[in-house]
Amino acid sequence: MDYKIIPSVCSYCGTGCGVLFQVMDGKLTDTLPMKTHPVNEGKLCIKGWNLHEHVVSDKRLTTPLIKKNGEFQNASWDEAIQTAAEKLKGIVKAHGPDSVGILTSAKITNEENYLAQKFARAVIGTNNVDHCARL
Amino acid sequence: MEEQMKKWLEPFSTTDGKPSTLATMQEQVKEWIDQDKIDVFLGYKMVQGHPLPHFFTKSNLGEVDELISGQARYSLEKIATKIAAETPDIKIGLMVRDCNQRALNVLYVWNQLNPENVETIHLNCCPSKLKKHADCSYLEPEKAAVYKKKVGIDNNMDVEDAEAFNMEQRFQRWMYEFSKCIKCYGCRDICPVCFCKECSLEHPELIATGTLPPEIPIFHLVRAVHMGGRCIDCGLCEDACPVDIPLRLLYRKVNATVQDEFGYETGTHAGQSPFNLLGDEVTLEPKPL
Ligand code: SF4
Ligand code: SF4
Ligand code: SF4
Repeated sequence: MDYKIIPSVCSYCGTGCGVLFQVMDGKLTDTLPMKTHPVNEGKLCIKGWNLHEHVVSDKRLTTPLIKKNGEFQNASWDEAIQTAAEKLKGIVKAHGPDSVGILTSAKITNEENYLAQKFARAVIGTNNVDHCARL
Repeated sequence: MEEQMKKWLEPFSTTDGKPSTLATMQEQVKEWIDQDKIDVFLGYKMVQGHPLPHFFTKSNLGEVDELISGQARYSLEKIATKIAAETPDIKIGLMVRDCNQRALNVLYVWNQLNPENVETIHLNCCPSKLKKHADCSYLEPEKAAVYKKKVGIDNNMDVEDAEAFNMEQRFQRWMYEFSKCIKCYGCRDICPVCFCKECSLEHPELIATGTLPPEIPIFHLVRAVHMGGRCIDCGLCEDACPVDIPLRLLYRKVNATVQDEFGYETGTHAGQSPFNLLGDEVTLEPKPL
């Protein structure tokens, strides 16, 4: 018997509400709003209340997938990154850097968003950067 | 904050009536766990600068020194209910304020927790003239702003004041409040006495789906009716409502009716409820339809 309450931040949108995960015997069972969190002050939207569900969902991807012969197949991270890099390189070479756009996300951190735009500008060489909150 | 809390010497009292300070409360918890009187104690601990609910067991007994009363108010009894549902025989100790105790009483009535398996340590509650020192985070709801006062319902109102509006006004004002609802289900999810496996609020034949706000006023009235004889007026739902709907006031009205009709004061004792026919004794006379 092992119970834990783990503070975290909701990853569904850019608001960043404070949540508490309730963990029973290693199983994530519930999400609660953090009462003293300065952003949400003990309130959540319906996504936040059900945050634990996407962590434990059967539909969650647990490994990278690569489409081979029209079908997604499990792949290693090395293989997935290699494939993405090669394809991107090929596209940039054939059609120029502005043929690529990078969409960043409210669900990732500030630092990761910074890296994503840096990657677009410094590595790919395009200013085509946008954000999922504008889609 | 921790240091400050240690300095407070207001008496707490345990189930066996012993007065205690925070230090003796910690002693008590250790003793209970040591002597296997309880398997787990639900209290609070400062984690990353926040007072958070925390589980104390034999395996982390040392942490009991960091047990605090916690100024934020969580429904520890709801957590206890979920633990008991998984492990029915578990003996649970928990820190309770007045509202937690009322919720426990209702949970006992509805067989969600077995009082034999629960030990409590009582804590200070909201401030009052008789009890100046308070540990509870629950203050009066925020003052209603001008617009809300003009078109809505001030959360601080008494049932009587809210009923003083004429029918049309009353309906419009409540509809204004309900129309803000984002259907987060926070009011239900946080409620210590909402434990049904199937919730009417999610029943598509009772409440139409696919729109925001949800179907009003039925969404809120269904919940209100279900809170008759259940709601212990803790205010957690209103605290959790992102759009500040005066839910507590609504449920107070429902419970006033329950008290008038059945003389049942919800949460004040763990005796039979007029709505729970599965108890030892049936108190309701069935009436012909
Ligand atoms: S709880 Fe809702 S509003 Fe808050 S961060 Fe999550 S998705 Fe955004
Ligand atoms: S005040 Fe709200 S949260 Fe508390 S018992 Fe009543 S309905 Fe539930
Ligand atoms: S907490 Fe407020 S907004 Fe959320 S479902 Fe309940 S009444 Fe609606």
